Amino acid sequence: MKHRAVWSAVLVAALALAGCGSAGGTRSPSGGADGKLVVWDWKSGEASARAYLEKAKADFARKHPDVTVEFVAQPFEQYYTLLGTAIQAGKGPDVMLFNGGGQIRDRADALLPLDEYLTDDRQRLAGWDAFTKDGKTYAAPVTLQGHPIYYNRALYDKAGLDPASPATTWSKFLADCATITRRTGAKCLALGNKEGYGIQFFLSAFGSGVFSTQEYDDWIAGKRDWTSPHVKRIFALWKEAQDAKLNSDGANSTAMFNDSFAIFQSAKAAHVIGLMSDVGHWKDFSEFLTAEKLGVMRAPVVVPGATPSLPYDGGIGYGVARWTRDPRVAADLVRSLTSTDALKSFYADAGAIAADTTIDVSQGGPAVATIVADLKAGKPALHVALSSKTLELMGRLSQQLLSGSISVDEAVKQLAASDQAG
Amino acid sequence: MPVPEAAPSVRPAPTGRAGGTPPRSVPPAPTVSRRGRGGRRAERLAPFVLLAPALLILALLRFWPLLLGVNFSFTGDGDRDGLMVGLDNYRELLGDPLFRDALGNVGLLVLLLPVAVAIPGLLATLIYLRVPGHRLYRSVYFFPAVLSPVIVGAIFNLLLAFDGPLNALLGGVGIGPVDWLGDPDVAMFVVVGVHVWATFGMALVVFLAGFATLDASLLDAARVDGASLPQTVRHVIVPSLARTIQFVFVTTMIGMLTSMFGLLYVMTSGGPEGSTYLPEYYIWIQQGQMNRPALASAASTVLFLIMLVVGLLQISLLRRAVREA
Amino acid sequence: MSRVRWGRWLLALPMAVLALATVYPLVFTANVAMKTRRDYVLDRFSLVDSLRWDNVAAAWNSVGMARYLTNSVVVVTVSVLLLLLFGSMAGFALSQLRFRGSSVLFLCCLAALFVPFQVIMVPLARIMSDAGLVDTYPGLVLAYVAQFLPFTIFLMTSYYRTIPPEIIDAARIDGNDVYGVYRRIMLPLGAPALLSVGILNALFCWNDVLISLLLMPSAEHRTLMVGVTSLRGQYSADIPTFAAGVLIAAVPVLVIYLFLQRQIADGVAAGATKG
Repeated sequence: MKHRAVWSAVLVAALALAGCGSAGGTRSPSGGADGKLVVWDWKSGEASARAYLEKAKADFARKHPDVTVEFVAQPFEQYYTLLGTAIQAGKGPDVMLFNGGGQIRDRADALLPLDEYLTDDRQRLAGWDAFTKDGKTYAAPVTLQGHPIYYNRALYDKAGLDPASPATTWSKFLADCATITRRTGAKCLALGNKEGYGIQFFLSAFGSGVFSTQEYDDWIAGKRDWTSPHVKRIFALWKEAQDAKLNSDGANSTAMFNDSFAIFQSAKAAHVIGLMSDVGHWKDFSEFLTAEKLGVMRAPVVVPGATPSLPYDGGIGYGVARWTRDPRVAADLVRSLTSTDALKSFYADAGAIAADTTIDVSQGGPAVATIVADLKAGKPALHVALSSKTLELMGRLSQQLLSGSISVDEAVKQLAASDQAG
Repeated sequence: MPVPEAAPSVRPAPTGRAGGTPPRSVPPAPTVSRRGRGGRRAERLAPFVLLAPALLILALLRFWPLLLGVNFSFTGDGDRDGLMVGLDNYRELLGDPLFRDALGNVGLLVLLLPVAVAIPGLLATLIYLRVPGHRLYRSVYFFPAVLSPVIVGAIFNLLLAFDGPLNALLGGVGIGPVDWLGDPDVAMFVVVGVHVWATFGMALVVFLAGFATLDASLLDAARVDGASLPQTVRHVIVPSLARTIQFVFVTTMIGMLTSMFGLLYVMTSGGPEGSTYLPEYYIWIQQGQMNRPALASAASTVLFLIMLVVGLLQISLLRRAVREA
Repeated sequence: MSRVRWGRWLLALPMAVLALATVYPLVFTANVAMKTRRDYVLDRFSLVDSLRWDNVAAAWNSVGMARYLTNSVVVVTVSVLLLLLFGSMAGFALSQLRFRGSSVLFLCCLAALFVPFQVIMVPLARIMSDAGLVDTYPGLVLAYVAQFLPFTIFLMTSYYRTIPPEIIDAARIDGNDVYGVYRRIMLPLGAPALLSVGILNALFCWNDVLISLLLMPSAEHRTLMVGVTSLRGQYSADIPTFAAGVLIAAVPVLVIYLFLQRQIADGVAAGATKG
């Protein structure tokens, strides 16, 4: 078979040729044509973000009338894959939206440190830490994201409990839950999913009731002691909540945890670990529960000595690509996107807790007022400090914990190994 | 320079020997056209002219990037971006229990493949044999194929929810609720089932095209001989549609291994307990969520090799089965 | 005879159930598209009592769907025509012509079928960008052709192999050269397969999100499914509007399929009588 040999030779030669040039590496700049900035996000397609973007654009147009801005809304599930590909191919946008935490830190080398451009906004905006790596800031926060525990005051009333004083200790919480379930038939906690986000929300929402202040701060600072009994306590608590039948039935293992909000909204469960921005927050709920029926509580104290606090971080923020033609113009766009006026619209229309702490929220009802008041003493969420890899592992382990196919000790051991490796 | 044996004659290519038709002697086709040498030369080049656009496109936009991608899988991620790291990525893959689970699930999919092929095959046969309402079925069976996997997944999430309508229906006849997507032993079958449901319309279209080549007189002969439906299927339809079946096998496998991302993403995210992880989903997570493109390339290369081996194996097995039938 | 009739009706019953199951999701989607967000959260399954087109209008107006629809129609039409042309040419050569290397070339086309898009995604994006084809119609068309060509060639080769060589020999004796055989014999005889693979390719291209997202970054060049998919945010809050978008994207494909599948059926009938 002579020609077969020839073909093999061609293949080998091509392979060798391919081996010479690396496919990796980030390309030189190519984005940012003259007078045009391209922005990638997953928000600009939503109706509730329209007024926000209009205001931000208008603000930017005042500063740079000659520069056009194009917003490209990407589907969220493909967003980071596309962004990674675009960065590798050197065809990325000038300005891009990021989730705070691991997602932006992983890609910091494609981004421009913005510290020198944003000094004036430092005080006004909160949530910077989620967009900071090695002391440099890579994005300006637009919203804050956190995990308040919302509760249905009407169900408390119906169960004969005082809605103004929700439980402050775990044992009281268990007792209240038993009362609510007995008298109203509603479950205690609306569980989004047994696998995935569920455990992340749980860890962050209840963690401050378990850890001591020192432990909490160490965890955030990266000094995580996985052998501490308190770490085990949190994961045992996750299982305990299920065993005590606190959770709503039939949560499945998808990433879509919106079911839990539907369960809460339709009063089938009394509590839910919600969000502060995007969805599953005070404004979302207000379509079904009027503002005065919605309460926000702090985590009950599980281990005496813990000081419960509201867990929150920078939610989403805009960063600037390293290859943009004129960094100052791009940074100005970021500043317009985080201007008080624009963020006010985002708060009002989308219900996001904006990163701008000067926005007046007194009209939003008691829940949002409580959240904003708690921001001062709030701390970064525990799960945001973990790497994507560890979070993914935690998601899987959480279901195994519930089904009993793994012990708490073993789960914590695996998490420790993952956390310390990366 | 005329090379006699290279002159194209219009007769079945050597690879075309398989299938239902027994080898037969082909009458020598006129290999010399009346236009003389120039014409002969053109004739000789004709296959290459016909193949040129396809080969050019495939070489530039499939094989060249494939080589670059394979090469990329030998480089590092993050701090080691662009550096050659040898087999490190492959070693990491083998050490990752999640990837091993994903490969195990590939084995499961291959086992389920015959079912996924038999369903549209059987339905196409019945439609071809004109069961009552065949016109309607032909139209509506294609409906799920036009919906995006994301919406299909979302709908089935609702239908299969623990407190959803399917469990209510089962409860009505006294069967306890099943946690369709939350039980590690069940979830994979459910997701495959939904995938088959969402795509069988496409295979049906291919089968119906295949029936166009079926010799109707064979069917009539079978009917005259009093053959039952199963007998007709086994002795007339399956051998005649060997190529179509082979084709559907291969493309269904590719569909199962490379286009279930949307469903997995929406329905299970690889869970419960990693039981629905597939290499494709693994690649996606590594690339998008974990920012490990080189590791993802290594996983895709493994996936490519698996598909190549399984696919070629399938083709040769089916070919042999048909020959023996 | 009557026993066969009864058997047929028995078979038709599960098929009818399956037909209901295949229609249901589309009905469900249409129903959700008519709901308000509030109604959706409270009860997803109940039927709406009146047709509410607000969501459809909102989806249509949200991000310039009309523009995306045009883009999709242009790109998909050109891609499918090229796929059918190149695919049938290659299929003819690989199935009916004997030449040196034909089996190797067939294996190459087959191997291309097994390349997962993920492995070539990044390099492809870079090749396209180097060639200046990113964000252009030809670039996207080329990418689609490359993506679905192996499938098309495979199907056309399989199909053409079932055509008896006598037909071709006869055409040759009538004085046709290879190209004449292709044009006068292979194209008409291949009609059922060409229609089927055309429908499938159109569907693949129409429903593609990833390739289009990758190669058409600017908003004005987007295709319809990308626009629809972008209606979903990170937490997919507004399902009714998304459902309306899905409906907008699905209806054209359905109409085309319903029109073409009749042609396929006729082609099937024609092929059956010929054989």
